[in-house]
Amino acid sequence: MHIPDGFLDAKAWIATSAAGAAAVAYSLRKTKLALDSKQVPMVALIGSFVFAAQMLNFPIAGATSGHFLGGTLTSILFGPWIGSIVMAAVLIIQALVFQDGGITVLGANILCTGFIGCFVGYGIYKAGVKLLAGRGRAAVTFVAAWLSIVAASAGVALLLAWSGTFELGTALKAMTGWHMLIGLGEGLITALVTGYLLERNVPLAKEATAR
Amino acid sequence: MNEVRLTARKGRWIVLCVITLIAAGLLSPWASSHPDGLERVAEDYEFLHRAEAVHEWAPIPDYEVGGIPWTALRIGLAGVIGAAVMLAVLWGVLRALTGKGRERAGGTDHGHGAGASSGAAD
Repeated sequence: MHIPDGFLDAKAWIATSAAGAAAVAYSLRKTKLALDSKQVPMVALIGSFVFAAQMLNFPIAGATSGHFLGGTLTSILFGPWIGSIVMAAVLIIQALVFQDGGITVLGANILCTGFIGCFVGYGIYKAGVKLLAGRGRAAVTFVAAWLSIVAASAGVALLLAWSGTFELGTALKAMTGWHMLIGLGEGLITALVTGYLLERNVPLAKEATAR
Repeated sequence: MNEVRLTARKGRWIVLCVITLIAAGLLSPWASSHPDGLERVAEDYEFLHRAEAVHEWAPIPDYEVGGIPWTALRIGLAGVIGAAVMLAVLWGVLRALTGKGRERAGGTDHGHGAGASSGAAD
């Protein structure tokens, strides 16, 4: 479930709609500069995978479930600008076609699960890889994805509190508490898929002779 | 070195494609129907009732294609349609994005090379 219509008050959804639209417009420009046309099928396929994986709610404690989001995955594979465009596309299709997530709160969903998820996950991943000089990449990926979910849920909590839906401290505790569990699934899936799709970068000359 | 890149092995992308189809079409009907994180919180703190839908014209509301008697098929079909729509929309949008910049795009891969070398060739 993404934020449905009605959870945010007018000031919050109007502000997040404007901010979300601006962020998507900026990402589109960044993507246009960064995207290699040969990558298009791969990016589209990952978007499709993210959509499918989001449907698979897995049970966690207390008759509750969680599902994959995918911001960290797409960002590790393609960078956070392309990642956030993929996430925005997934959220738009979910809202328009499947009525999952509201229309007025589309901007809020794009900012939280899209941008926060992508940039927090990517930032932690990059920092971790640099710090450990590339060792323990799977563990770094797991932590990055886990944290991205906790951060995204904190973003939603902030917006809910700003809307007066409930008090900030309580909102943060409740949202991040559940998502610390849900994030474990995110970490696992992200580490598995990136491990499968990324390979050591062999210098070009070597690769040419190998073929 | 420590650098990684996307795999060029086609087989792995095909496997991902198959996994996507299996997840969307076959596994989705068996996903947990318990409330997820946000819904759980909304229930516990009693604001779930505030949820409303401003649009009632979504073609496949709640990931179930209407008019089919089997639930698994309703959901599985919704998943496959969604995955296909996702692939098509992203492919189209991204193609359009890279397409426009293609004349210049030769230069993006090899950085400074394109402009300079074409100048030299002249």
